[in-house]
Amino acid sequence: MVTTDSKTEPLPDSEMEMESDEEPDFSDPEDFVDQINDEELLADLYQKRPAEAEGLESVIICDNIPVIDTTEGTRFEKLKTVLQKLFRPFGDINSWEFPIGADGKNKGFMFIEYRDASCAMEAVRALNGHKLDKNHTFIVCPFTDFQKYESMSEDWHPPQPQPYKSHGNLSYFLLEPDCRDQFVVTFENGRKVTMYLHGFQEDSVLLERENFSDLAVMWSPRGTFLATFHEQGIQLWGGEKWDKVGKFKHYKVRFIDFSPCEQYLVTFNEGAVSKSTAPDLSEDERKPCVIVWDILTGQRRRTFQPSEEIMWPMFKWSHDDRYFARQGEDQIQIYETPSCGLLDMKSIKVTGVKSFSWCPTMNIMAYWVSENRDVPARVTLIEIPSRKELRSKNLYNVADCKMCWHKNGDYIAVKVDRYQKLKKEGNQTKYSGMSFNFEVFMIREKNIPVDSVELKDSCVTQLAWEPNGSKFAVVHGEGQHASVSFYQVKQASVVLMKRMEKKSCNRLLWSPNGQIILLAGLKNLNGTLEFLDTGNDFTSMVATEHFRCTDIEWDPTGRYVVTAVSAWAGDRSDNAYWIWSFQGKLLRKAAPTGYCAFLWRPRPRSLLTEEHLKEIKKNFKKYSQQFSLKDRASMSKVSKDIMEKRQRLMELHRAWLQQKHEKLEAQRSLRIELRGGIDTDTLDANPDELEEETLFILVKEESVPLPA
Amino acid sequence: MRPLLLQGHERAITQIKYNREGDLILTAAKDNKPNIFFSANGERLGNLIGHNGAVWCIDVNWDSTRIITGGGDGQLKLWDLETGACISTIDNTTSARTCAFSYSGRYVMYSTDNTMGKDCEIRIIDFNDPQQVAGHGLMKTSVCTSTQKGKVTAALWWNLDDGILTGHEDGSLCIWDLRNDLDKIQRVKAHRGIINDMQYNKDSTMVITASKDNSAIVFDSDTLEELKKFPTERPVNSAAISPIFNHVLLGGGQEAREVTVTSAKQGKFDARFYHLIFEEEFGRVKDHFGPINSVAFHPDGKSYASGGEDGFVRVHHFDQTYFELTFEGEDFTPLEGGNY
Repeated sequence: MVTTDSKTEPLPDSEMEMESDEEPDFSDPEDFVDQINDEELLADLYQKRPAEAEGLESVIICDNIPVIDTTEGTRFEKLKTVLQKLFRPFGDINSWEFPIGADGKNKGFMFIEYRDASCAMEAVRALNGHKLDKNHTFIVCPFTDFQKYESMSEDWHPPQPQPYKSHGNLSYFLLEPDCRDQFVVTFENGRKVTMYLHGFQEDSVLLERENFSDLAVMWSPRGTFLATFHEQGIQLWGGEKWDKVGKFKHYKVRFIDFSPCEQYLVTFNEGAVSKSTAPDLSEDERKPCVIVWDILTGQRRRTFQPSEEIMWPMFKWSHDDRYFARQGEDQIQIYETPSCGLLDMKSIKVTGVKSFSWCPTMNIMAYWVSENRDVPARVTLIEIPSRKELRSKNLYNVADCKMCWHKNGDYIAVKVDRYQKLKKEGNQTKYSGMSFNFEVFMIREKNIPVDSVELKDSCVTQLAWEPNGSKFAVVHGEGQHASVSFYQVKQASVVLMKRMEKKSCNRLLWSPNGQIILLAGLKNLNGTLEFLDTGNDFTSMVATEHFRCTDIEWDPTGRYVVTAVSAWAGDRSDNAYWIWSFQGKLLRKAAPTGYCAFLWRPRPRSLLTEEHLKEIKKNFKKYSQQFSLKDRASMSKVSKDIMEKRQRLMELHRAWLQQKHEKLEAQRSLRIELRGGIDTDTLDANPDELEEETLFILVKEESVPLPA
Repeated sequence: MRPLLLQGHERAITQIKYNREGDLILTAAKDNKPNIFFSANGERLGNLIGHNGAVWCIDVNWDSTRIITGGGDGQLKLWDLETGACISTIDNTTSARTCAFSYSGRYVMYSTDNTMGKDCEIRIIDFNDPQQVAGHGLMKTSVCTSTQKGKVTAALWWNLDDGILTGHEDGSLCIWDLRNDLDKIQRVKAHRGIINDMQYNKDSTMVITASKDNSAIVFDSDTLEELKKFPTERPVNSAAISPIFNHVLLGGGQEAREVTVTSAKQGKFDARFYHLIFEEEFGRVKDHFGPINSVAFHPDGKSYASGGEDGFVRVHHFDQTYFELTFEGEDFTPLEGGNY
């Protein structure tokens, strides 16, 4: 073996010449022992040396294939063709093996060797559990599994069941006797968090934490959990003592989303995780990914590694947590829980789909497809999982659509931006002569009738359905001269109820109970606020403002509303939140330094049925009496508290005054001495010296010649 | 009632003072001519001509015969109130920031800025020494930078003629003992920002400080013990205590250069009234269209004056409702003979 040093310098020219003359002897002497062995020398090559198991990764076994007598006819050949068709799409196949028993029948399993191990893995992932027919469900596994299970250690014990750790009643906040709501306030860029219990006169602090979360905090949709963001993942808090009730390890999570019934959590970390922050993860796991978690068990249900940029939330959930869906190119992918696999193994092909949304109370999905040459745009409602089309409507000259579901799923309003002229400039399409249509689908009616109304205005800013009602409100027009229109659905047709012009408004906020709506002009409209009672001839209850207000949030019961100027909105000064009653009465102001966000704790949907609600409304007087009694009691308690505080302060002050009084008395003579013997303790020290003078000042002199 | 609008200045008002009897209002501004007005009708008695720069401070002695002013031109001027003639001028290298007559009127204290490589100094003049009045030598001087960060930004005499109470740029309060060579007796860290103004109540038992840290604090003037605090959401430029009620008046607002939006609402330039004992706000007066730089109560407590960055001085006479205002729980019976 010759050892050469690759780093030796090139030989000088003279030696090169010498080389041509005479061949030097390179062979080793007889007794030469190499100091370096092959393993050390060629470590990199040795690593790639073919091993016995080489290639096994690309072999898979498929079990549960139909058993057929191979000696009989062509049926076995047919089966082979079917199977090959199934397995071929995953990659090139090197060889097939169908073991055949002594009786001439095949043994019910087969081996497939792919050229590439990754193809084999893909095939396992896709076809494991595939139903060939009623009686044959494939079990596909990689061949290496045999090795894995063979080398399993003998003394394996099943994991001990973990003792159930109770966190108490996670819904305890609903048991508050006075139905007071909780809210959480974050300040100083989300690092400082305070939890409050809203009170009649004062908010009491439940919990105060510094460095609680790296980013912000977020409630789950029914208010059971509070999520905090950390370097290592998401932490959920809940229960009466604010225990840690869940931990989801996902480095650098930036976005999360809860399923509506709080069964699943979706997390996403934007950007790859560096090796130094997460040394325990493999290369693959450090890539940005979306993970679907089961909240109660804390287990991963499925991991997605998105190839393209995603819009958050990536998935839209159906109301009952049974499905989640995302939109792809010309298709909608619906996944089923708890398996998190594609519903019926295939996505819904919809050419040109622009967006979709779930009905908030039923498993109905609405989507719209854009215009394509002569094919008009189309809004479609389908039922899941049957994929039955319930209703669709063709629309012409459509620039854009926005779908807006009623909270109870009674209606869906589709705002259609329609154009008169269309101009193509390169990749950009320019629309002109815009008008707007609202197509309202009445889901609960037979055959789902559709009515539409037209609105001619420069732009439509927002459409909002009245919760628990049949009205919707629309802001249209620009800036200070916007108008607000109210429409109502009456007997399968949409009628305009009221149009209010010149409202400085860019946001509509219905009370969660309906009837009351808050028209707000946020940010550049300087925070004008108007409380309207739509149940009472649209009377304006209060018109006021919270200067430069950036956020507004109704409490889940519709009793209070909070307006706020957040530091996150870029306004560094005047960060504050104000709490109003639903009638527009300002109850309280708070201005914690660096205030960022205010979040009411959400409540689950009421369990009361329609009849119950009616019953309560009927006996309203009886209940209201009880409540006003309670209010009065708490009111007098508060005023009593204030009086007590004042009395205490007064006592202190009086004692202090007494002490000062003594000192002043003692200094009296000194004071008189210092001011030359005059007692100036009273204002008019020498009233005798005061004289009152009355002065007459001649203001104007005029000479008028007398007539001769 | 409509306020009296005193238009005697061309630039921002820096300090307002009533004389002891309350018939005169003395105003200093960033223009170089301090004014004297009649408080009853707002008529101008006259102005004091002689300064060559902004006038930072003004004070009058107890019998209303002399006025002192200190200015950005480094001059401390002594004036005869009756004639408006300048009696004496004392030149300093840096601005005279604060000035005050002692209780007896025998002494004058003033302080200078710590600019141009000079230290902030507290200086005392004795009127009994004509040499000192003429500007030849001082009675006492104390340099306060060696132990104290930040110049003096507000100053009062302490315990009649015994010492000086100073408020500093770094938010601290100090008492300097005149009987003991201007040694520092006490130092309290009162605020987190510059102390813009200090005023005694009528009998000088408490002092109220106004600070850029958005609050005003009432201290026991003997012990510097914090008695009451009035937090707001804007810098407080000036604060005063009513001579007849337990009321506190705060004036301030966002500094003009920090108001990014051209709206008076953003700056919050209201004069605000608080209850001294309960620390509760009970009233606001919207008036100036810039920050309020100085407020002062009339010694009879029936009116007050405010001077703003907008250059106006406004004199407000309280309505009858103000005098009828009562707070539940407040027993407003002044101590016998307590009307100092």
